[in-house]
Amino acid sequence: MTVMSLHSSPPSAVAEAEDLQLKVDLCSEAFEPFACLEQWHRQLAAIGRWSAANSHFIGRVRSMATNGTPLLALELEHYPGMTERQLQQLATALCSRHGADSCLIQHRIGRVLPGDAIVLVGIGADRRGPAQRCCQDLLEALKHDTPFWKREWRSDGTGEWLIGNTPL
Amino acid sequence: MGEPSAEGIRIRLFAGLREQAGWSEHHWPAPAAHPHPTPRQLWLALQLPGELSSVRVAINHEFTTADTPLHDGDELAFLPPISGG
Repeated sequence: MTVMSLHSSPPSAVAEAEDLQLKVDLCSEAFEPFACLEQWHRQLAAIGRWSAANSHFIGRVRSMATNGTPLLALELEHYPGMTERQLQQLATALCSRHGADSCLIQHRIGRVLPGDAIVLVGIGADRRGPAQRCCQDLLEALKHDTPFWKREWRSDGTGEWLIGNTPL
Repeated sequence: MGEPSAEGIRIRLFAGLREQAGWSEHHWPAPAAHPHPTPRQLWLALQLPGELSSVRVAINHEFTTADTPLHDGDELAFLPPISGG
């Protein structure tokens, strides 16, 4: 069973996973993570698939670049087709491994401003342990194994592609 | 060298690697005499910048190794270090 409503462009692929409620969006415009979560939980409740334990992660763009100068914006590039497929595969595999029941992923692409949400991960499970572990594992997989690239645009007019991720 | 196939291999670059190389897509006509090149061979033939060991390889949207034989119609991507989330 799958829930997959896409509110942003370009849309991601539809997931198929037995008993897993999965929604993955790549958002080309700013999204409000709490509104997304509320809508997602309403959708799950409407079909009787709400979970006793829920773990959420919201990541926002920092105000400072890695070189310590003010950050104007982050540019998020992705690999259309592969990024959606990889998110879906990682989510399905990790939810299966942890026994999670639902998964919401919202990820920005394009130009993202400081303070804006860049990623939202929401996991529902029967217990807090699987929900929290799945949320963390999925976030790390998303950061390291999904084709996204960030370029910092700094106040001095320079832009630089980032190599790798910030420490956990 | 044999006649190139109609399809060949589509090669894609992203982010900093694309800007260093100066192109984002390249069509490699797979010659009949050597129809299954590997990503490593194409990396060298195209004289891409930097070390192959610093990038990841994907064929048809799946991560794979640099020594996987390519086939006519494949899409090959060289992916510089990823930074999502």
